[in-house]
Amino acid sequence: MARRAVQGSHVLVVEVPGWSETRMRVEAELARSGWVAALSPADADILLVCGAPGQELAAVCEGVWAQLPGPRARATVLTEGGVVSTLEQLATELLDEARQRRDARTRSRQPGEEGSAMQHIQSSAHEAHGTAHEEGHSRGHQPAEPDADADADADADMDMDMDMPMPGGIALASGGSDRDGLEMDVLNVPLGPVLPHWPAGLVVRCVLQGDVIVSAGAEVLPAARQANDGGGMGSSSIRRSTHEQGRRAVVRHSDAAVQVLALAGWSSAAGRAGRIRDNAVSGAALVDLAAALEQLGRRIKRSRLLRWTLKGIVVAPGFDAPHDGGSRADAVSVRDRLIEWLDEAVRIARGAPDAYESPEFAAAQHSNLAALPGLITGTDIASARLIVAGLAIDTAKIAYAPEPLS
Amino acid sequence: MTGIAAVNPIWVLLAPIALGLVALAGAALNGIVVAHAQGRSVQSGMASPILEIARLMRQRRRTTVAADVLLWRIGCAGLVVVALLKTAVIPVGAWVLADIPVGVVWFNALDVMVWAVVWLIGWGANSAHSLAGGYRFLAQAVSYELPLMFALVTPVVAAHSLRVSDVVDAQRELWFVVWMPVAFLVFCMSVVAFSSWGPFATAAGADIAGGILTEVSGVDRLLILAGRYALLTTGAAFAVALFLGGGAGPLLPDWLWTILKTLLLLATFIVVSHRIPIVRPDRLAEVAWVVGLPIVLLQTLFVSVVVAVKG
Repeated sequence: MARRAVQGSHVLVVEVPGWSETRMRVEAELARSGWVAALSPADADILLVCGAPGQELAAVCEGVWAQLPGPRARATVLTEGGVVSTLEQLATELLDEARQRRDARTRSRQPGEEGSAMQHIQSSAHEAHGTAHEEGHSRGHQPAEPDADADADADADMDMDMDMPMPGGIALASGGSDRDGLEMDVLNVPLGPVLPHWPAGLVVRCVLQGDVIVSAGAEVLPAARQANDGGGMGSSSIRRSTHEQGRRAVVRHSDAAVQVLALAGWSSAAGRAGRIRDNAVSGAALVDLAAALEQLGRRIKRSRLLRWTLKGIVVAPGFDAPHDGGSRADAVSVRDRLIEWLDEAVRIARGAPDAYESPEFAAAQHSNLAALPGLITGTDIASARLIVAGLAIDTAKIAYAPEPLS
Repeated sequence: MTGIAAVNPIWVLLAPIALGLVALAGAALNGIVVAHAQGRSVQSGMASPILEIARLMRQRRRTTVAADVLLWRIGCAGLVVVALLKTAVIPVGAWVLADIPVGVVWFNALDVMVWAVVWLIGWGANSAHSLAGGYRFLAQAVSYELPLMFALVTPVVAAHSLRVSDVVDAQRELWFVVWMPVAFLVFCMSVVAFSSWGPFATAAGADIAGGILTEVSGVDRLLILAGRYALLTTGAAFAVALFLGGGAGPLLPDWLWTILKTLLLLATFIVVSHRIPIVRPDRLAEVAWVVGLPIVLLQTLFVSVVVAVKG
């Protein structure tokens, strides 16, 4: 029975900015072996971190690790070559009864204790460094943090927990007027960095009323160091051949399409895009990829249901006059972006140049991140997720090419 | 075909097994569809529900900080209970466990129980994503429930009875699906919706980390997943009784026809669901109220007029 249980293990994959190809390799391997990508820590048997997380992201991973129900196992993969052997080793760990028993014994029966102990350590560390806003952040590790209160000043919130007997030490949510002017509870909910179909390392701290976002702020948690393997985005890529660059561009565009299609809940199309992506990663001929992408693009353009369900979800509002360089006068919807990526991927697969290494591309990532809070404010979570996926922010470009943001 | 009669109550013990087997067949088919999409063998897909059961039986259940544990656990177990209670009024061939005079109302009352159960799953975990899942389900339920009720009423009007066996008997000459196709379609869509399945699975969507499923693990998760398949199965079986003539069919025994038709409908639900995008509750509300409700009302009106004219 244990052996069977491990044959269908669920893996929570955490991507560190810069290790996107490692994550894709993991996803391809999961699909091949019949394992499943977990949607949340409670769903997972295995925590697999792709890349070397920076301090904050590592702390988040600790918090997530504490939430895995167990039997559990975890590992970090840094190279695409290491994926298969790491997964095999994790399966053995899950089957190791003695080890799992030991692990279970050391864990507290009370939920959140491991996590909150970690939070206390974190918060004192942050106080020592004098960065006040980080505190709210450390509360937001778990993708499913229990209702935090609306108080932005987390120190005061901590004090309140000690003075008043609150359930589980959590202050009650306070009210606020919603968009219809009715009083409604306000929740501080961070989206990311550990969420399925979400840009690596991105954290969007949202204030929610019901499932509507009333305000938001976005930032990227960096990696410990720049990736220098296949996922590397920096200097090592300069000498890359144009063919290799084209392949990478196809991978990038089709991965972006996978995320949007998966969030739109169209599993057969997302699966198709995923297979094209995985073929591109494993070095299939660009001509074949172009044909497959073209076919997928036609299917997506034809789908009235997709057009209807994505209607009005906009990643770039319309402008009367052209804004900065690239942006257009028309509003760009998520569906437009999806079709754009597929068309672009077909063109690149047939030999058109890719703009990935250009400074404009990196600048666009920064401006997209800056525009994100404005775009998702006032939308519900589902639309916001589609908008984030539609922006397809390459967080590696932000983490390694810092540009002053205000 | 002979009339439907209630069987000895001892058969109640068999009902969960039969329901479980049909639901498992549905889960296996879903596994096959997923495996096919990922380029794996049919066998590996067929085994996937068994692997998942083994995995979840081995996994520890967990709680969250300040969870409303009692209500949460009630919610987790509730879907399976609702599905089992529904089997009481579903005729298999000529047999039914309880041929109560208000069988259709019984089914509908249990549909409404699903509102409460899913909301409790979302509420109990004290987690933002679960809660958002609960909100989404209620928003969706507001859209599907009224069309569902009128879809249920339509065969009842034609059969002059709320008793499920009377509805099946009334289809001896002509299956209701033939002259009330809109009601049949609306009913099928509602079944998929109250099972949080396929295009109506936003309550457990990947965009909110699994929504109502975000915080559940181990046996609790198993019960919810099994409950969703069980609801889908009972919904399909009830559609067979209401619209597809129950056990009517040539050659084979009538109980086998019921099961075959149920499996076929269940398979349709599962396969079609993979091929269409998810329908967000806010989009659904517009269509359900502006288009869905009026056309199902017209369907009911049409059937009522036909029944009145024929006397």
